[in-house]
Amino acid sequence: MFIPKSLFTGAVLLGLTGALSLSASAEAIRIVSPYPTTTLDPMRSAGAGNIETYGLLYSRLLRRNTETGALEAGLAESWEASADGLTYTFKLRDAKFSDGSAITADDVAFSLERVRTDKRSAYPGPLGAVESVTASDARTVVVKLKSPFAPFLGNVEIWNMGIVSKKDVEARGEEKAFTEKPLTSGAYVVKEWRANEALTLDPNPNYWRTGYPKSPDSVVLQEVAAADARISMLKAGETDAVRSVPWSQVATMKAEENIDMRLEPSTTIWITLLNHRREPFSNAKARLAAAQAIDNKMLTQAVTQGFATAANTTLPGAVDFHDKSYPGIAYDPAKAKALLEESGMVGKEVKILVAADPAQQQMALLLQAQWQAIGLKPKIETVDGGAWWEAIPKGEYDATPNWWFNETPDPDLAVRWAVCGSCGSHSYYTYYENKKVDELVDAGTREMDPGKRAEIYKEIQAISTGEVAQIPLFYAPNTVAYSKKLKGLKLTPSLQWTLEEATIEK
Amino acid sequence: MSHLRSILNRLLQLIPVLIGISVISFLLLRLAPGDPVRLLVGDRASPETIAAVRQQYGLDLPLPLQFLRYVSNVLQGDLGLSLRFQRPVAELIGQFMGPTLFLAGYVVVLTVPPTLLLAVAAAKRPGGFIDQLIRFLGIMGLSIPVFWLGIMMARFFGAELGWFPVSGYGQTFTAHLHHLFLPAVSISIWLIPVLTQSLRQALIERSAADFITAARAQGASEREIFWRHMLPNAILPTFNLLGVMVALIIGSTVIVESVYAVPGLGRLLIAALMGRDYYVVQGLTLVFALVTVAITLIIDIISTFIDPRVEL
Repeated sequence: MFIPKSLFTGAVLLGLTGALSLSASAEAIRIVSPYPTTTLDPMRSAGAGNIETYGLLYSRLLRRNTETGALEAGLAESWEASADGLTYTFKLRDAKFSDGSAITADDVAFSLERVRTDKRSAYPGPLGAVESVTASDARTVVVKLKSPFAPFLGNVEIWNMGIVSKKDVEARGEEKAFTEKPLTSGAYVVKEWRANEALTLDPNPNYWRTGYPKSPDSVVLQEVAAADARISMLKAGETDAVRSVPWSQVATMKAEENIDMRLEPSTTIWITLLNHRREPFSNAKARLAAAQAIDNKMLTQAVTQGFATAANTTLPGAVDFHDKSYPGIAYDPAKAKALLEESGMVGKEVKILVAADPAQQQMALLLQAQWQAIGLKPKIETVDGGAWWEAIPKGEYDATPNWWFNETPDPDLAVRWAVCGSCGSHSYYTYYENKKVDELVDAGTREMDPGKRAEIYKEIQAISTGEVAQIPLFYAPNTVAYSKKLKGLKLTPSLQWTLEEATIEK
Repeated sequence: MSHLRSILNRLLQLIPVLIGISVISFLLLRLAPGDPVRLLVGDRASPETIAAVRQQYGLDLPLPLQFLRYVSNVLQGDLGLSLRFQRPVAELIGQFMGPTLFLAGYVVVLTVPPTLLLAVAAAKRPGGFIDQLIRFLGIMGLSIPVFWLGIMMARFFGAELGWFPVSGYGQTFTAHLHHLFLPAVSISIWLIPVLTQSLRQALIERSAADFITAARAQGASEREIFWRHMLPNAILPTFNLLGVMVALIIGSTVIVESVYAVPGLGRLLIAALMGRDYYVVQGLTLVFALVTVAITLIIDIISTFIDPRVEL
């Protein structure tokens, strides 16, 4: 039979055209992350990708030193508190928006009041103690508080406190002002936003920090959900930094010659949430038994290959006043078994809800095995993020391994989120409630003396960990891999990139 | 004339199909657990914030009313706004359409020549060494999971050897060819064996047909017999199979686009599903359905040209 040769040549030629045209390297600093940018409005979302973007586009009254983490002047060049701690006065520096118009006290009042009072504001919590924000003249902002509030200055540095232009937002309308090219007060302006794919930024020529961004290059925030694809991109030189390297790949990335694999400090804590509103974990003894049954050092080693530290309290290890001396809940399966029997919860079914992420799957399996050993009947149910968030606030689960992070070093927002029953989050939807803890949460913000505050937060940790509000698992660093060509870039514990200080070798 | 009427008929049949798909995708999405607004505003948002945003986006209205609104908008050519990005769904689909169409076309171009070659080689001596070898390789190609193969090829040909990019789509036509080569190969590797076996079977059947013997008896050369008589007669079933495979190619692009970070419709679909971006998912479902139906129709029409006995 005759075999047509021309077909063969055709196939070979096609392959060659592909292999020969190698792409040129781009003039940009590229970061690839699984977290998408969905809005450029700092008020509208607390999603991980958006948090990181806001910091690049909008300046705040104060900023954190990227080396020391200390609070320093931002758009406000100075500030003072009244003697009673109820009034803060900020003096603005001579700064401009990206179009060259002046940033005034009106813009600051507008931006902060939006975050504080707009019904659609994603996270008004940090300004909970604020009574009003007003402009007393073009360069002076006055913030009145309902009561003295120790974490206040730190809270105006959080990601949603970016200053936007009142004039522009009112002129273009909210939707237009933030879906196209917003006026920015930060280090960058939007060059092109390809939703669901990439956000390209250019340096802001009117940025108030002269000499920044240090690099004249654009910045590309690439969105790629698949971890393997992100890592291949770095190895192939198609990106310069990779966010969220899976634990299983950290060791091999460390061995790569041109890659700087870093474990950066973070306020992330992994915990197992327990539902306090249903059996078995409405029972205090059953909760303690469940906690004693978990060998969290072994679990940390197994899940993170030893790159994280086992957690000892319900609070992140990197927040201020974290009690390092607290012994934690000791692993003791024999005691746990006895305690469970005492509680009368032996044989009870435990619905472990878990996201379809490899690390979380692994945690669920370990929880299941160790709880089975003491006489519970754990069942794993895998869901995606959407279904997880549907079930958790409604309390339709018994246990779930999960994580959260704190926006500031101050522990106030952390305790409100994780262990406060009357703060709106119902102790991260575990429905843990302890009146004493709630009072201490309040007291912690009114107390100005750091030594006394330390005592308050120590007590909160002791009570909530002892009562097993949640089972602390581990404190995870941010796993970020950088090309060695990049200098000066890092992801801070507040999940902000220090891009304006970064440069890249060509 | 009868051709035109049949095509018109087929197009009319499209209407109930599209309505059915819209209803089912709408219901499946809305009945699945998960709130787009929660995912949008983030963990820390209070129930009050979520309620306010749901109201702004009209998600608090009764479902039948939302569906009626959606349908009447679609009938006017408006696919709605993406909940996540507050941009028109049509604009988003347009942005991601190019890479996927290019990829699908590329797959077909990469698949057809080797399929012909391998099928002909295998059919030359059925049961012979070459036939067995091709079948063995085919089973290998079929049994390797697409995502695994994708990851391995990206690592080896992309990251290690640097021959091909491991992400993106490129700016120019040659860059598209370069960027999408590995993704297209990943799909071709399972598609080629399926089509090869079909064509091989058809060729073997035809080679024993009376009209081939007749042609040979009339003194036609082997080349002439192959091109004039055998191939056109054998290709039809495989060609129809390729039509059916279009749906599977679209399914594969979803996986392959994720593995190779190609900014195509598949990646948009996954992100929209994870974010419960209702109108984007519904718009994409409609587009995929339309494309599948259109391609099947085109293939049927071409079939009537290859073999006039085929009716639409």
